[in-house]
Amino acid sequence: MIRLIRQRTIASFISLIGLIVLVFFLSRLTGDPTDLFLPIDATQEMRDQFRRLHGFDRPLIEQFGAYVWDLLHLDFGDSIRRAQPAIWVVLNAFVWTLQLALITMTLVTVCAIVVGSLAAFRAGGFFDRAASLVSLIGASAPDFWIAIVAIVLFSVQLAWLPTSGTGTVLHWILPIAVLFIRPFGLLVQVVRGSMLSALSSAYVKTARAKGVKNFPLIFVHTLRNAMLPVITVMGDQAAALLNGAVVIESIFGFPGVGKLMIDSILQRDFNVVLASIMVTAIAIFIMNLLIDMAYAVLDPRIRY
Amino acid sequence: MGRKILLVGTALALTPLPAMAQGNNEITIVLNEEVDLMEPCMATRSNIGRVVMQNINETLTELDVQGDEGLMPRLAESWEDMGEGTWRFHLRQGVTFSDGSTFDAEDVKYSFERAFSDQITCESPRYFADTDLSFEVVDEHTIDITAAPVQPILPLLMTLVTIVPSDTPVEFVREPIGTGPYVLSEWNVGQNIILERRDDYWGEAPEVTKATYVVRGEAAVRAAMVETGEADIAPTISDVDADNPETDFAYPNSETLYLRLDHSMEPLNDVRVRRALNMAIDREAFIGTLMPEGTEIAVAMVPPTTLGWNDEIEPIAFDPEGASALLEEARADGVKVDTQIQLVGRTNNYPNVTEVMEALGAMLTDVGFNIDLQMYEVAEFENLYSKPFPENRPPQMLAALHDNSRGDPVFSMYFKYHTDGTQSGFSDPHVDELIAEATAAAGEEREALWSELFAYLYEEKVADVMLFHMVGLARVAEHIDWRPTIATNSQLQLSEISFK
Repeated sequence: MIRLIRQRTIASFISLIGLIVLVFFLSRLTGDPTDLFLPIDATQEMRDQFRRLHGFDRPLIEQFGAYVWDLLHLDFGDSIRRAQPAIWVVLNAFVWTLQLALITMTLVTVCAIVVGSLAAFRAGGFFDRAASLVSLIGASAPDFWIAIVAIVLFSVQLAWLPTSGTGTVLHWILPIAVLFIRPFGLLVQVVRGSMLSALSSAYVKTARAKGVKNFPLIFVHTLRNAMLPVITVMGDQAAALLNGAVVIESIFGFPGVGKLMIDSILQRDFNVVLASIMVTAIAIFIMNLLIDMAYAVLDPRIRY
Repeated sequence: MGRKILLVGTALALTPLPAMAQGNNEITIVLNEEVDLMEPCMATRSNIGRVVMQNINETLTELDVQGDEGLMPRLAESWEDMGEGTWRFHLRQGVTFSDGSTFDAEDVKYSFERAFSDQITCESPRYFADTDLSFEVVDEHTIDITAAPVQPILPLLMTLVTIVPSDTPVEFVREPIGTGPYVLSEWNVGQNIILERRDDYWGEAPEVTKATYVVRGEAAVRAAMVETGEADIAPTISDVDADNPETDFAYPNSETLYLRLDHSMEPLNDVRVRRALNMAIDREAFIGTLMPEGTEIAVAMVPPTTLGWNDEIEPIAFDPEGASALLEEARADGVKVDTQIQLVGRTNNYPNVTEVMEALGAMLTDVGFNIDLQMYEVAEFENLYSKPFPENRPPQMLAALHDNSRGDPVFSMYFKYHTDGTQSGFSDPHVDELIAEATAAAGEEREALWSELFAYLYEEKVADVMLFHMVGLARVAEHIDWRPTIATNSQLQLSEISFK
């Protein structure tokens, strides 16, 4: 296990370096932020002064060298727009994204496993058909539409929940509910498929013949063996959430990292773009490592 | 494991309740753009100005854009022209900053020096591009400001520089200190900004005691928040959501939409072709359909409340046959009217921008133009809009928005029409001369010169395709006594808000 962690860390570190180089040069190819930051009728002096203050007048390779040097001292540079350290801006937003992703993925996993397993147990039955229909609709409906409809219905018409914002627990219900739908729909299908093949294997028949009851049969014996593909898909979905749920963040006014990243790209706030890419990349690396470890725990045949 | 995470998540979510709207004299305002800085010297930028301008930081003078009071005193009680470019400002006495220090002439001097410093990129210097300012503190409450060359509208320019205490550092601050009726009490980045009323404000105490600003990117959500009582004012909502005449109001937002023509290229260098472009567009057809009711047809770059507005200019009428005939006439004279002309729009520039651009393209194609419609995102668009223009470009028409709520055309005309103007696609010695004369003139003479320039540009040169003076739509809760005005785009004074 220690070897796995060491190997993965080295590999991830190398890809992170590649990512930084790529993003640094590609983002600067798209133009410099001077014209976006300054008013359209700014004088040439103001433009020159802005470039000088932020180092955009220096050769690209020199800018890169300075950036890497600062990075080695854990200095991610300042956000041009916000006049604050970029890493601080990003971590502030990332805390929100992390909470949203954790809560949503926990709910998705629990619900999808229960619903998917039950659907697989009586394949073709009423519950299975109903679950399939709902999950397919969930996996295919556009989330911006669901979000707006949910606000109109639950906040404006019924006045049960606040429209948006972050103040109380009530504020979290709508965004989490909307975020929940798509990965839930997808995961139910995966759990169901994986359970179906596990349920038809020889050890399940033996267990049945021994008289093991339905509940322990599904949730104790079969589920553990059916979990590997489920974890893989779950990891994919969680990675998407960690990148930030841009649509949900914009509609519900959630200060997450997804919207921050898009805004920074549009404003060419390079330090924030780089910092947010590094933070999310590291988060996704840690998550992938946890998933690999989960494989080994669930299936003792897997050895690293 | 799962339950534990859920518990932790829920605990994290249990942060204190936000200030709800319609509390006792507390209001919530839902904005459409993130407030990334709270820097007083950036207050002329609309997203910052709506929170900071005249609420936290004040200026020496203030322009009454909607009424006819003209320039009003704020931190300066009066001013006089001392001749030779010097203006003397008599400052208000007994004014304190929110940190307790007393406001005096040194603060005024320092505020300008700070805003103009080369260690910080403030917005204010652009309004003084070719003017050198020098300051002389006469006494604690009197200051002489000298402009070289002579600047007849110096008191008006004072509306653009916010005053900060003389110990403010020369770097962007996040906790602005000002003389205004409100003080920044909390800034929870990404969540809200809270201003609270000061007890020691020099002027009349406003009714609103506390204002909470939140940002929502989605117009439908902003409208819903006022409807449900979560917010009291949404300064910008979309046309689709503005369905309640009791709460939804259209207001001129001081922006003008026009097609900037590149006169250096055939066929746009021919006045008949430019006139034909203007005649081909059925502007009335847009209003109430793609553009909200209340949108006005434009004949000049600035809104009608601006100095020198010329009532006598008649909009060029929609006349597709006439446009085709003009094109034929130009063709007969050897003008290459069949050349493809690029029509460039900016994505997300205003609501329905794509549909508006497509309709414009179709109308121009109908009368015989060869149009290539292109949509660019903001950074690419600005490259095309400002000089130096790209080499080897095709003939271009850029659909651009220009905002001038400052009351004087000087903030527009040089940039858009002078030979050296950054966004000017145009060069005409008479125009350069008129701009120079008007800029140096004062009073009625100034007004007459601007009027003359508007007419010359629109009627004789047909410099651009002027389209619309745009409107914004705001939703205001029924118990709030406040109406949006042309100033709302750049500032939102809490002291103007009261309760019914």
